[in-house]
Amino acid sequence: MIRTIRMTVNGAPHEIEAEPWETLLEILRRRLELTGTKLGCDQQVCGACTVLMNGLPVSSCSVLGVDAAESEILTIEGLAAGGELHPIQKAFIEHGAFQCAYCTAGLILAVKALLDQMPAADEEQTRHFLAGNLCRCGCHLEILRAVRSLSGQPPQPEEA
Amino acid sequence: MGLRPFEYVEPSSVREAAQFMAEHPEAARIYAGGTSLLLLMKQGIVRPDYLVNIKKIPGLRYIENGGGTIRIGGLTTHHDLEVSPLIRRFLPAITELEPQVANIRVRSTGTIGGNLGFAEPLTDLPPLLIALDARVKVAGPDSERVFPLEELFSGYYETTIEPHELITEVQVDERKPHSGFKYLRFSVGSDKPAVGCAIGVRLDPATGACVEARCVLGCVAPTPLRVREAEDVLRGNPYRAEIAAEAGRIASEACSPLADLRGSAEYKRAMAGVLVGRAVQEAFRRAEGQEPEGGRR
Repeated sequence: MIRTIRMTVNGAPHEIEAEPWETLLEILRRRLELTGTKLGCDQQVCGACTVLMNGLPVSSCSVLGVDAAESEILTIEGLAAGGELHPIQKAFIEHGAFQCAYCTAGLILAVKALLDQMPAADEEQTRHFLAGNLCRCGCHLEILRAVRSLSGQPPQPEEA
Repeated sequence: MGLRPFEYVEPSSVREAAQFMAEHPEAARIYAGGTSLLLLMKQGIVRPDYLVNIKKIPGLRYIENGGGTIRIGGLTTHHDLEVSPLIRRFLPAITELEPQVANIRVRSTGTIGGNLGFAEPLTDLPPLLIALDARVKVAGPDSERVFPLEELFSGYYETTIEPHELITEVQVDERKPHSGFKYLRFSVGSDKPAVGCAIGVRLDPATGACVEARCVLGCVAPTPLRVREAEDVLRGNPYRAEIAAEAGRIASEACSPLADLRGSAEYKRAMAGVLVGRAVQEAFRRAEGQEPEGGRR
């Protein structure tokens, strides 16, 4: 039975007609055509589908669309403003923090949530927060460098 | 990808939810955090005709302290527990445990009621909560009851509550003076725990002897496993390496782990003993006031 779901996506209010068994990921990609959010493992392990729901990272593959009703969703498409990339996006580019980039949208949003909560997150806090976002190309060190460039934390001994 | 169609129900009260569950005990499933249930639904293991979303019921997400008892609403998320100043102050062992649960996304959506009600054997909270003598409150259409959490679990993914009963609250008494708790887990990265162990001790401040002990293992039996024989070894004694080792040996023999990708049964059994030994030492140190309890941040 189709339901009407109201949610704010990237700052814009939406009224979406969807079946209750559609996940937030399916709604974003199919109904709203926001395909920056990727399907990965489909079981909350890899983090590719990470979006922010009311500021907290969630696996959009495992949240029902109906459950996201009345919430604020931020996807990768909502970060750049006025033709200018977001500082986290710039830092990822500057530090080469991706290769195939399939995990990147989710990782950038996870970093956004981290730095919103802890603007000067240290190494342990960063590693802990990002532990559930996997990069199969192995860019984790570059990702950590990108985060450090934003959090103002010093380089790690093994890299200095 | 893709869930099978189901009817979606959004009750506005516990009573309404329980009533619906009473009318459809086989065909309906409660959706609280969804972190575990949706996974089973995607795999086709669980195929509910009705999904009953209780997350929209107001007043089930809270952490409060009333008269020395911390009351945690059933819809409280792992993340809520992780950052709660009240939990940090009165039940710091939970603050310390929570960051180890899965990943930040699971913690953002997974609830305490869902975690307990799902009765997944490979999970962190139940052993520690049992060591803390937690109680659960469950509500049916017309009644409520409170009982020790230890009595909730009856087997792999099975509980003693009726399909029409919902876990609405978890109650834990404030930590008593001269007591210490330690939860230790073994896992690879942010995977589910392979072995978990919660130890609690309360000491006589005059003698340093243990007057109350809890030893609860996770992941190595169909349900969280309280090892009373190991508790007996601790009770009456101040800390000694020998009693920690003996408690570990007993716990190791008491468990019945299954072999899986996380380790062989023999390995997990040995790890259970190691973790108990270490956790006993830590719990005593904490009870003696040598080391503060609780994680960082």
